[in-house]
Amino acid sequence: MQADLFAQECVALAQARAACDNPQADTRAALAALIGQYERLMRESRRLIRRSDRAEFDMNLMNRQLSELAQQLEYRATHDTLTGALNRGAIIDCATQALEQGDLALIVLDIDHFKWINDDFGHPAGDAVIQTVVSCLQQLLGPEVHIGRVGGEEFSVVWPTSDLGEAQAVGLRICDAIADQVFAAPINRQITASVGISWAPRGSGFETIYSHADEALYAAKRAGRNCVRCHMDNEANPLLVAAA
Amino acid sequence: MQALYLSATPTSPEVDFRFDQHILSIKGESYPENAAAFYTPLIAQVQTYLAACDSQQISVNVSLAYFNSSSTKMLFAFFDALNQAALAGNEVQLNWYHDEDDDTILEFGEELRDDFTALDFRAHAVSGQ
Repeated sequence: MQADLFAQECVALAQARAACDNPQADTRAALAALIGQYERLMRESRRLIRRSDRAEFDMNLMNRQLSELAQQLEYRATHDTLTGALNRGAIIDCATQALEQGDLALIVLDIDHFKWINDDFGHPAGDAVIQTVVSCLQQLLGPEVHIGRVGGEEFSVVWPTSDLGEAQAVGLRICDAIADQVFAAPINRQITASVGISWAPRGSGFETIYSHADEALYAAKRAGRNCVRCHMDNEANPLLVAAA
Repeated sequence: MQALYLSATPTSPEVDFRFDQHILSIKGESYPENAAAFYTPLIAQVQTYLAACDSQQISVNVSLAYFNSSSTKMLFAFFDALNQAALAGNEVQLNWYHDEDDDTILEFGEELRDDFTALDFRAHAVSGQ
């Protein structure tokens, strides 16, 4: 037998053709044989199609589940589980990409005396403060702005701009919003954040803009907290003081 | 008659036809590049074997976790040959192994039972791997 998926059908067809061409052939017998083959082929095709339909259905179902799972995994890989903000890796990617596309301000903030909050009210209350700070930032800045949690109580905002003054105004609004935020019980005191801002032109590296923002943040801490400081590249005046 | 053994490959099943013991087994997954080329010589040997059988008890074990459409077409020819042998007076038992969670393969086996009525069809659920 020839290695053909339809070898059996080819044989049946050749026999039917031969009977058709031969005036002396027993055409009724040939037709009966062909009917038998045709019925078998129909039965097999029906089974095959049913099986394929079932397999296709299962495969589509699994494919949907797989893509949902991939989306969940991607979300988990890029977001902080406590706050839903971008995680450290994702905010670095985001800032790096923004620097490839244009000038960028990086705003970093750190909750003042966070250790005391944990010590005085317990870690669950500390977690709630972190969550409230993130939702405060999200409400203030809107859903389009990339906000990340880079450390325990430290956050970053990626702000594409060519104008450091504009970023400074955003930093002040953030500082004010957190200072004005009322936190849920048991927190019974004002909570504030210190803000550091750096600016870098398109093509700069993330490490540079981040370390400059970090320097500005520590300048804000040294200046008494609850205030904003900008990093300036001018060596004579490395830190521009801005009152909160 | 000499036994026929083909070890499994990533795309073709293990074939273990022990004609002298009247046990024919196929196990694994089947989606060879050319299913007709893979199965045609096997089916030819089975037909030669079956032609020599007379009132013989024959066990056929099929344990396929996956088989594609062209393999299915060739398997129909395999089962048809077995069914013909059963109609000719042999006792052919078809043991159809399927994963307990795989309803598609079980249902396909049940359709074989409906189509090849001379075979003594037995379904066997195998617990998940």
